[in-house]
Amino acid sequence: MMPHLADGFTSPTFEYQLLAPMLIVFGGAIVGVLVEAFTPRGPRRTVQVALGLVTLVVAFVVLLAVTRPKLGDLAASGTVAIDGPAVFFQGTILVLALLSFLLFVERGVDSAGDAFTPSGATIPGSASERELVAARVSQTEVWPLALFSVGGMMLFVASNDLLTFFVALEVMSLPLYLLVGLARRRRLLSQEAALKYFLLGSFSSAFLLFGSAFLFGYSGSISFTGIYDSLSSGVGLDPLLLIGTGMVAIGLFFKVGAVPFHSWVPDVYQGAPTPVTAFMAAATKVAAFGAMLRIFYVALGDYDWNWRPMFWVVTILTIVVGSILAITQTDIKRMLAYSSVAQAGFILTGVTAASDSGLSSTMFYLVAYGFATIGAFALVTLVRDGTSEATHLSRWAGLGRRSPIIAAVLSLFLLSFAGIPLTSGFIGKFLVFEAAVNGGATPLVIVGAIFSAVAAFFYVRVIVLMYFSDPPDDAPSLALPGAATTLAVAVCAAGTVALGVVPGPVIDLAQEAAAFIR
Amino acid sequence: MNPIVPILFLGLLAFGFAAFSILAGSLSGPKRYSRVKLDAYECGIEPTPQPIGGGRFPVKYYLTAMLFILFDIEIVFLYPWAVAFDQLAIFGLIEMLLFILTLGVAYAYVWRRGGLEWD
Amino acid sequence: MNPENYLYLSSILFVIGAVGVLVRRNAIVVFMCIELMLNASNLAFVSFARLNGNIDGQVVAFFVMVVAAAEVVIGLAIIVTIFRTRRSASVDDPNLLKL
Repeated sequence: MMPHLADGFTSPTFEYQLLAPMLIVFGGAIVGVLVEAFTPRGPRRTVQVALGLVTLVVAFVVLLAVTRPKLGDLAASGTVAIDGPAVFFQGTILVLALLSFLLFVERGVDSAGDAFTPSGATIPGSASERELVAARVSQTEVWPLALFSVGGMMLFVASNDLLTFFVALEVMSLPLYLLVGLARRRRLLSQEAALKYFLLGSFSSAFLLFGSAFLFGYSGSISFTGIYDSLSSGVGLDPLLLIGTGMVAIGLFFKVGAVPFHSWVPDVYQGAPTPVTAFMAAATKVAAFGAMLRIFYVALGDYDWNWRPMFWVVTILTIVVGSILAITQTDIKRMLAYSSVAQAGFILTGVTAASDSGLSSTMFYLVAYGFATIGAFALVTLVRDGTSEATHLSRWAGLGRRSPIIAAVLSLFLLSFAGIPLTSGFIGKFLVFEAAVNGGATPLVIVGAIFSAVAAFFYVRVIVLMYFSDPPDDAPSLALPGAATTLAVAVCAAGTVALGVVPGPVIDLAQEAAAFIR
Repeated sequence: MNPIVPILFLGLLAFGFAAFSILAGSLSGPKRYSRVKLDAYECGIEPTPQPIGGGRFPVKYYLTAMLFILFDIEIVFLYPWAVAFDQLAIFGLIEMLLFILTLGVAYAYVWRRGGLEWD
Repeated sequence: MNPENYLYLSSILFVIGAVGVLVRRNAIVVFMCIELMLNASNLAFVSFARLNGNIDGQVVAFFVMVVAAAEVVIGLAIIVTIFRTRRSASVDDPNLLKL
């Protein structure tokens, strides 16, 4: 017999105070679509920029003022969990998105306008494209798309059942696929990156969905709480459960860019418009790790003896392969991409600890990593050959003499990635390694420490190149950053230093928040 | 009466109508065949591959098809609501109105930006 | 009929889709294979809903259908853009990003 709808239908409850930040972001995105439809082309960009920034700020304020005092509850009939980690990650995503949006706004570094093509639908190099460039038209759809993506990320880290989890993943990813393909310069590269990201991204989503089906088949419930309950009563070695866990992990490993599911990372990071790369590298990674922590700590929390070996292998591979391949890169965007693969490995070390300190250290690391990443990619937009960015490493030689400020700030971010003391990266690495040792993953920490040294090599190599080499004869031009980029870089630099010198408050915040509810 | 009988009758009626239409059409209509008419029936793109770089590429068709798919698939949510309409009461009505309103926003965008104009 | 058979069918469809993604070279066909994988997951969800006597799986199937449609639109948009630029939909042709 198929189950029938119960006779008495009770309306689901919605805790609007808990859901408000997400509703504001989605609402802002929908208003953005209306603005696209009904605002004339002239003021459209101004309206979209204001709407995007205001939406994020309001959502952040509401998150702190309304949601945070009430956290620790399931909302929307148990489909969304607004607990400490969810609010922490949502806040982080909003801040990182705001910083990336500042890079989206920038029109000063490229003589023709912002980083996006005037119209994604025109053929690169065609007459209609030139016409639109001359008219200084902007593709303002970028703003609602980015807002939808931010909303998806916020839902992704809070989702408490398999359905919300999958839908949030897609709401986060689909706009990103489009954003990647909208670069103003080197459009063929950008379109190709979008195609690769789309095909591989949906491939991994399919794995995640099929895995979810098996988790549902094992437990008979799509809610994480239900899966946890059936695990604690069940035998635990069911093939359905093993297949489900493995395939969900594959989908998530892809999203965080862990080896062997990393092949898209360098291509997409290189091809995407650099502000979008910054957004993806920082905010998407926070969202994907947030969701990964939730499903593995909440739904599969009592099953860690079975998923931890898999995480061990992937973590070691990610750290080793990411660090080694980063050394061989000659393009700074690709180098930063492989560096972000290696960083994903260090973050996975914290996840593998499977403990509360693992959770809080991962949360701290993600904040530190997000600031340094956005800052580094923001600086990449400033060094230019004629019109497009000069991304080849040799073009960066001698930058320290030509622009001491850019070189110094970039060195700060690279030292933070390398984990040098007095930067946020050092504290982050220290915390995840400590959590991993306490969680019984000492060999992982040894590999991590050795390859931190290898990783430090290629970060320091760039610094040496900038300070101790002569600039090339046809040195690239240095764009003067506008107020928006300057602000974003300044905030990122301040955050990186502050988290390295006085990490206490954020560590306390993370430890206080590090408790999932079921 | 056996409940199968009306179904059978309906089936026969449908079959008969189809047969009659084809027969009547071939008897009464004019017969002027051309290359286009004898082509395989397929809408949108030509069934044979176009020369690379030569033929025109009808993007309009894809645009229309994509819009159709999107709006068509949303019906999926209207059916369950229609089935349990009375039990879902006012809550269901408000939710569905919100849902359709959101879709309406997308529709407004498509309409204002010329997505519905064929030429 | 034993509902487990539907699970075997869904697994077979999923594998056909996954292999198709890996071996086919036309972006449209690769994309169709991904859709096949999503639909295989749908079949698995519905079969498990039947096996578990729990209607949640069928609800998931509805949402996955809609998500898949949205994915079709985004995917076709990207593929059509590339095709208009290059007059080819082979995933081997775009090669600016190879090392």
